[in-house]
Amino acid sequence: MWKTILRRVLVMIPQIIILSILIFFLAKMMPGDPFTGLIDPKMDVNTIAKLKQEYGLNDAPWVQYLNWVKNLFRGDLGMSYTQHMSVTSLIGDRAQNTFWLSLVTIILSYLFAIPMGIIAGRYKDKWPDQTIRIFNYITFAIPGFVAYVLALWLFGYLLNWFPTTGTVSVSVAPGIFNYILDRAHHIILPALVAALISTTTTVQYLRTGIIDNQVEDYVRTARSKGVPERVVFNKHILRNSLLPITAFIGNVIGALLGGAVMIETVFSYPGMGKLFMESISQRDYPVLTALILMFGILAIVGNLISDIVMTIVDPRIRVK
Amino acid sequence: MLFNKANKQNIKTEAGEPISLPPSGFKLVLKELLKDKFAIFSILVLVLILLFTFLGSAFVSKESLDTNILDGLMPAFSSGHFLGTDEGGKDILSLLIVGGRNSIVIGISVTAISIILGLVIGLISGYFGGVVDDIFMRIIDFIMVLPRFMIIIILTTIISNYNAFTLILLISLFSWTSSARYFRSFVLAQREREYVMASKASGSSNVAIMFREVLPNISSMIIIDVVLGIAGNIGIETGLSFLGYGLPASTPSLGTLIGYANDPVNIMSRPWVWLPAVVMLLIISYMINYVGTVFQRAADARQRR
Amino acid sequence: MEKPSDLLLDIQHLHTGFRLKGKFYDAVDDVSLTLRKNEILAIVGESGSGKSTLASSIIGLYDQKNTRVRGDILFNELNLVGLNESLFNRIRGKEIGMIFQDPLAALNPLMRIGAQIEETLYYHTKLNEKERKTRVLELLDQVGIPDPVRISRQYPHELSGGMRQRVIIAIAIADKPSILLADEPTTALDVTIQAQILDLLKDIQDETSAGIILITHDLGVVSETADRVAVMYAGQIVEVAPVDELFTNPLHPYTRSLLESMPQTDVDDEELHVIEGTVPSLDKMMTDGCRFAPRIPWIDATSHEEEPILHEVSPGHEVRCTCYRDFYFKN
Ligand SMILES: Nc1ncnc2c1ncn2[C@@H]1O[C@H](COP(=O)(O)OP(=O)(O)OP(=O)(O)O)[C@@H](O)[C@H]1O
Ligand code: SF4
Ligand SMILES: [Mg+2]
Repeated sequence: MWKTILRRVLVMIPQIIILSILIFFLAKMMPGDPFTGLIDPKMDVNTIAKLKQEYGLNDAPWVQYLNWVKNLFRGDLGMSYTQHMSVTSLIGDRAQNTFWLSLVTIILSYLFAIPMGIIAGRYKDKWPDQTIRIFNYITFAIPGFVAYVLALWLFGYLLNWFPTTGTVSVSVAPGIFNYILDRAHHIILPALVAALISTTTTVQYLRTGIIDNQVEDYVRTARSKGVPERVVFNKHILRNSLLPITAFIGNVIGALLGGAVMIETVFSYPGMGKLFMESISQRDYPVLTALILMFGILAIVGNLISDIVMTIVDPRIRVK
Repeated sequence: MLFNKANKQNIKTEAGEPISLPPSGFKLVLKELLKDKFAIFSILVLVLILLFTFLGSAFVSKESLDTNILDGLMPAFSSGHFLGTDEGGKDILSLLIVGGRNSIVIGISVTAISIILGLVIGLISGYFGGVVDDIFMRIIDFIMVLPRFMIIIILTTIISNYNAFTLILLISLFSWTSSARYFRSFVLAQREREYVMASKASGSSNVAIMFREVLPNISSMIIIDVVLGIAGNIGIETGLSFLGYGLPASTPSLGTLIGYANDPVNIMSRPWVWLPAVVMLLIISYMINYVGTVFQRAADARQRR
Repeated sequence: MEKPSDLLLDIQHLHTGFRLKGKFYDAVDDVSLTLRKNEILAIVGESGSGKSTLASSIIGLYDQKNTRVRGDILFNELNLVGLNESLFNRIRGKEIGMIFQDPLAALNPLMRIGAQIEETLYYHTKLNEKERKTRVLELLDQVGIPDPVRISRQYPHELSGGMRQRVIIAIAIADKPSILLADEPTTALDVTIQAQILDLLKDIQDETSAGIILITHDLGVVSETADRVAVMYAGQIVEVAPVDELFTNPLHPYTRSLLESMPQTDVDDEELHVIEGTVPSLDKMMTDGCRFAPRIPWIDATSHEEEPILHEVSPGHEVRCTCYRDFYFKN
């Protein structure tokens, strides 16, 4: 098992290297340089040229790349053009917010999807299955941002059930408990909508898994041992059907990150996605570079996680 | 013969002539479609939307799309402005018609490009397998983990002469990958089929086999991918335009209209500005997806046989 | 002869029908059979003749909603037909063990070998966890698996086909059942392994004096292992006899054709000939008259019995129809 995991980690390294090269050159294409955010407009041309020389901007591209990577390892992602602070500290808070939103979304998503998949599989072609199929069709075909806008309009503005912006109210009552409650109140609507529109694949995999596994020989073996039907379902059918879903965790994380820009924009939720939109409108390229690098690495790591989980839960992969 | 399970369906071909195949995927899929009332209804509605947006665009005057501060922020049902106007005085109904058309055109164009690209690469990758397949799959895996939405947005700000055509290319750059993967899996399955083997034995060239034999056999898969692709790509374009980084400001899109909802005042008190675009986008998306699932069902049924 | 208490199973007029498009069709059609202690009863017949259906009726493994079982399966005075599920779960595994055809598919790919054997002990014995683990190792040893400790911690895909089948057998015999049902236990295995598995089954029988129902396609297997043979065709038993009797004196035309299709048997009838065709599918099966008649169209219509019944021709040898007296094969 450890060998498989180690090999999988090694595969990830070239991916990250290529990603970083790609992003480095994307960053080079962007207008501006590391001084845009620092220098005094009155500084004369010669000083700027000297500074550029000093900072290695005239070096060969690969030297610059290596320097950039060296700085990355030190946690130095450069300075924001507009915010007069380091990119690292700018992203810090925002990353936390995105993390919580994503976590709640993932939990809710599985909380909905797994029971739905089980019910759909058990009552194949009966009304519960058909109802779930319609629900899946509705949530699958709606473009994410439309779902967010409609939810915000309906539950945020018209019904006033949820706050429409931010992570926490300005007027929140003191006390840690109130604080957490208020944050939850801010997270719940975006997370709920994002969770509901992300259930489709999980439900479908689980449903077909249950239908297919029910007639597998090993299930019959379990029954021939005199194992009660309820246990046969939980221990044999369900467990084996959950397997392909674990393989999908990486995709779910990836989809969630991809949707962060949209969801955080609509709900004015100050996470990394919102930061991205703010930075793009101010053409704050160091921040943008850092953000795509982070999102890229997170997606790669997400895939790694699901592969590792897969190796742990599926003994058939382990020995290969 | 008694006791011979294996022999039951073992049809052999003499001299490498291809075995007769089930009726073409396309015909079967079409038959299935005509059986489904709601699918027919969906297609009718889609045709109506196409007519409304494409013919309608011909009647939209240039002035109604121009900024005209004096006519700004008119409510719905105003004279001459059925759905009112935006801050700049642009007529919302005209924006809806032209924007709808633009979004559809872009959705279709992106789908065309990415499916052709995906098909060629999927065919090559699946048909040849081995190293070729490995290389393509690595590349595709890599592109698929990239934060495509963000990269497209950044590129839209740094590409000079950015226009609708560049947007099409940008979106296609990322969206061919899933098609390629999808087709590859079917080609892989077809590769071992008897008719391909027979064709190989009779000395047909690889290219001929791919296009003459394999392609028709995955035709129903292509239709499914085209249909669902259009819906998906319209979603991507409108999403980008919604954020303000899709179609350039001079070219309206359904996404631009829905983007008005990003303003708290608009979303609350002026729903006629953005809600019609939401409704149109939803209708397009649901109807196309419905037709897609009917196709999928038909293709599945055909495979099961 | 045997004492009556040797009787393990007494199947009387068993009908097992499946629902197809709203109607029930009997895949097992009026089967009566007995199984005794220490006996290996072979059931042979072509694909689709209802052998597996018979076995799954005995152990009660069928889709309740779409299956109709009538008749009696008496096990120690307890009728297994219509027995409620929780009672049946106390019999399955405990009193009746089952061995399946495909040893890979029959094991849960995600569970360790040991755990799969232990599961049956958990439900049918009072052993505690540690005792169960010990028993698992004993069982693995009993079925001839080397290094039981290591194997018990492995997963099914890590074992060879023969090993897996041994594991299945270990599961089946774990609770020392008095009846073993083996549905084509060797079909999926190499010839050399087949013999080993059959030897193992015989050894187990010697130790436990279980009654074994052995379903097979392979008449070679039958002649080497079985004590009695029942030949099935289209859901019915057409001939049942002690094994030597059946091989030396096959009476039903279907039995004869089975023997003929088997290589190197010394049925000395130069007129024997292979019969063409296969068992009809369930919904096309006849429900009255002789089901075999369509396969031998050259037979004179007058020699068919209207509703052929089993005739006892010698002690323990029964055959459907009396036609064997004047039967000949087309050449
Ligand atoms: N669950 C089921 N539903 C409907 N029909 C069934 C079912 N199981 C078996 N049958 C049908 O019943 C008949 C007998 O099947 P069965 O599996 O008992 O035959 P068999 O003698 O075991 O054949 P084989 O040698 O192929 O295992 C066949 O026509 C089969 O198609
Ligand atoms: S002769 Fe008897 S066994 Fe033979 S087909 Fe006729 S009825 Fe059946
Ligand atoms: Mg069978």
